[in-house]
Amino acid sequence: MASKANAKITSSSTAEYFSKNLQQVGFSSQTKAVLTTLKESVDNALDACEESGILPEVSVLVEKVGQGSLKNADQIRIRVVDNGPGIDVDDVPKVFGEYLASSKFGKGRCSRGQQGIGISAATTWAQLTSAVGARVITKTESMRKAMSCLVEVDIKNNRGHLKEKETIDWDRPHGTSVEFLVDGRVQLNGDAGLLNYLNGTALVNPHLTLHYKLPELEPHTVTRVSDAIPELPEATAPHPHTMKLGEFMSHSHLFGRVKIEAWLKKGFSRIHEGVLNDLVKAGIKRGVLDKSVDAIGDADFKELFIALQNLKLMAPSTKSVLSVGEETLAKSIKRLGAVDFFAVVSRKPTICDFKPVQIEVAVARLEEKAQEHETPAQILRFANRVPLQFDKSACAIVHAIESVNWRAYGLAQPKDGLPLGPYIMAVSVVSPFIKFKNASKETIDGSDELVEEIRRALIQAGQRLSKHIRREVKANELEEKIRHIEQFGPILVEGLCRITSASEARKKRAEEGLLKLLGRDAHATQQELDKAHALLEAAKVTEAPSLPPPPAPSEGPDSEGAEELEGSEDKPVKKGKKESAKESKKKVSKKAKGK
Amino acid sequence: MALESSRSNKSHKSEDSIPNLSREMCSLLLADLEKAKRPVLRATKCSLDNSRYDFKVGYLTPGPKKVATELNVSSVKKMSRAIFLLEILLRNIETGAVNTKRELYYMSKGEIKHNPSLRPLDFGSQDESDEIIDFICEMLECYREEFNCYANDRGGQTYSQHLIVTETMSDGEKAVIDLSKMGTSPFQPKNRPQKLKLTAKKKIDFAIIIESEGTANTLVVNGFTKRNNCILIGSGGVPSNAVRAWSKTIQDQLKIPLFFWGDLDAYTMQNIFRTLKAGSASSLIRNSDFSAPDVKFLGVLPEDIKKYDLADYPVKENDAQEVRALKKASDALANDPFFKDKRNKGLAAILKWLLTHKRRCEQQAYFTVDPRDPIMPEKIILEKIKRGDYV
Repeated sequence: MASKANAKITSSSTAEYFSKNLQQVGFSSQTKAVLTTLKESVDNALDACEESGILPEVSVLVEKVGQGSLKNADQIRIRVVDNGPGIDVDDVPKVFGEYLASSKFGKGRCSRGQQGIGISAATTWAQLTSAVGARVITKTESMRKAMSCLVEVDIKNNRGHLKEKETIDWDRPHGTSVEFLVDGRVQLNGDAGLLNYLNGTALVNPHLTLHYKLPELEPHTVTRVSDAIPELPEATAPHPHTMKLGEFMSHSHLFGRVKIEAWLKKGFSRIHEGVLNDLVKAGIKRGVLDKSVDAIGDADFKELFIALQNLKLMAPSTKSVLSVGEETLAKSIKRLGAVDFFAVVSRKPTICDFKPVQIEVAVARLEEKAQEHETPAQILRFANRVPLQFDKSACAIVHAIESVNWRAYGLAQPKDGLPLGPYIMAVSVVSPFIKFKNASKETIDGSDELVEEIRRALIQAGQRLSKHIRREVKANELEEKIRHIEQFGPILVEGLCRITSASEARKKRAEEGLLKLLGRDAHATQQELDKAHALLEAAKVTEAPSLPPPPAPSEGPDSEGAEELEGSEDKPVKKGKKESAKESKKKVSKKAKGK
Repeated sequence: MALESSRSNKSHKSEDSIPNLSREMCSLLLADLEKAKRPVLRATKCSLDNSRYDFKVGYLTPGPKKVATELNVSSVKKMSRAIFLLEILLRNIETGAVNTKRELYYMSKGEIKHNPSLRPLDFGSQDESDEIIDFICEMLECYREEFNCYANDRGGQTYSQHLIVTETMSDGEKAVIDLSKMGTSPFQPKNRPQKLKLTAKKKIDFAIIIESEGTANTLVVNGFTKRNNCILIGSGGVPSNAVRAWSKTIQDQLKIPLFFWGDLDAYTMQNIFRTLKAGSASSLIRNSDFSAPDVKFLGVLPEDIKKYDLADYPVKENDAQEVRALKKASDALANDPFFKDKRNKGLAAILKWLLTHKRRCEQQAYFTVDPRDPIMPEKIILEKIKRGDYV
């Protein structure tokens, strides 16, 4: 006991902690390791391009190199090359080899990366499984030549080390290439597949041109559908109602020796002179507000904090959220494959749990999966434009999808389950403060408010989609009715004539009469179909002029951004169906007239 | 033009009426079609809300409500199937052939096999063809037995030392069955009991329809029919068409008192006894031939429990059938014209008693009175009849 009690307490570096707990940051299985490495590299490339106002062009290579050192693992090469601004040589070891070294941490921006863990974890995984760190080539505009090096994590000290550093010629004015050799297994399809990740990334990044080469697949390029670079909204200061007392107190030290009054106004959103007056009215002494932040005690902090919590404050600004925009989302969704029809909805930025958030939804029916009526719809989840691919069932987005009654919109759906059929449902949650369930950012932890907001967006999309489905149902009904007339009409008349021993002439007259009768029914259905079609067209016309401008930050809670857009691909199959129904109808009328 | 069935309130006795009515209906359909007019067929709505009850008539009769079937693009398939099956059924009447619903299902398959142009009519399962047979019966307001389509009827085992049944076969030959020559084997009426001719060797005093076939058999083996000039019939639970029509035939031809002896519970009262006495809401159009309004409820009566110290027990919560029947009972008291009729207040009172006390007593409980006397139930039955202890 004594020896245990006297055991030396040591401290570990952040790198040491993460190197032993890589499963917490997305390296919990061999397939996840490959996906996380790719994801972290692409996220960094896209963030870098956006921050520098560059239209991103990213090339991805994933290939099997040989056998891995782990049991049943392949050695996989993952290389991501971007046309971003490049990284200053001094920053390279920090970016790829140091944990929690981030330019975005706690900034209150909607960037993909936040904490500065992911890419360093990828380097660590490569180092642990292949004994080689990250091979980086980078060039900024000001560098004459590119720098190539190997970055390794000094796990003991949480430092990045450069090795094999050399200058090389490179074929581009600026950009970064990062290559990892890792142990893992490649999974192409399914929710957790590489293709799902790349398609999803393309969907919510319409301005991205993506080249990729994956094992067993031909090289593929997804071309950008928008030349507008998303303008990164300004970072937003935290809202006092989202904080806890400890956070509140530590926050006070970020601004140096300033007066409490100045700290509150500068360090928080929605605190202005009026709020300070209200604080005084609520019992806070004016003198406290005039004191320096390091001159007041814990009791004063607590009193101030409680007074703030009890005040009715304006909700935070929604300026800090960034949307893809409906128009671009509509273009982008067609990059997922042949689409029968789709609906996109971009909700107004709003406040959920005192945090600004914007929900965007795209629902499309895929032609190539037309036969998959029994399989659940494919769900694409995004948090700050990053696809989420694991632990689907715990995610707020999935809860919201399951809570919608899709049957009302013509989709099949088991009770409280995901809708079925050849549909793809993409839901994007954008917010500077997304609450994830874990460090590897796999699922969004949803409050009731957030789930309700997502649900509303989905309902809007469902309503738009139902117009297409209704039209299709009408077309099917018409076809079915025409088939009925052709099949059963003659049989009925013949049966009646046999029972009544009717003459040939009577039979002929009855056949003509029946055809006329049933033709009228078909005509009525055709009219319903035309009506459904006209409704759809009218909706398109009225909505087209009110499309929001290309992706731009919203102007606050009052801005109008919640337009809806939907459309259809005039695919030969659907069009053909409608036409064939029309033709059949004509055929029936012609027959009736002819006789 | 709407085709109203002209059979309402007509007797179902005429053998030729079905083919004639069918041809008439088809001819009207054809005439409408020739004029490109939409034919509408109206059939009686067979449901409780369209049931009427008059004590003097004795059974549930249809009200004015009709169900319309319009020929349109949605119903053309059903109509075509109906005409197709009607042709097969009419052929059966013509040749005197008899079939069950299942046999008709396979016959339709055979017709389609030999005539591929009829393939769109093909039935996926017997349920589909059964539905069409019922539809034909609704349109013509007749019952399927009139189309020589018989169910594999159960129940109706009949014992008597004095009853003689004469059956005219389809070839015209007559079969005479003397029930006294059958030992303890029962005579079972099949097909259309209305066609049977009944005579009595000696005056028959009464007939008892017993809910349990087993108990009916026990009474016979113990000599009930030897000691009494009577007819014993085992109903076998809810009376089948054969049992209902057979009871009606006995009532009409022999004109003797009819009694029903069964359990004291809500299910027996509503589903078995009411059906036997006044028919059912789902068979409104044929109750006239399928109910015996003279039948009396001999027991078990609520007062019998006390009088004979019978073993009864509370309705168990897991007895789904009885719990459901009790729930239905309050509805029946409020809406069923049979139980609402003042002349049936004795029966309604039993239903109320069951609802209030939530107890039941089985017919076999009479065996508790003196377990060592095998004819004790017989004694009780005779005593009850003698004393007029029935409802």
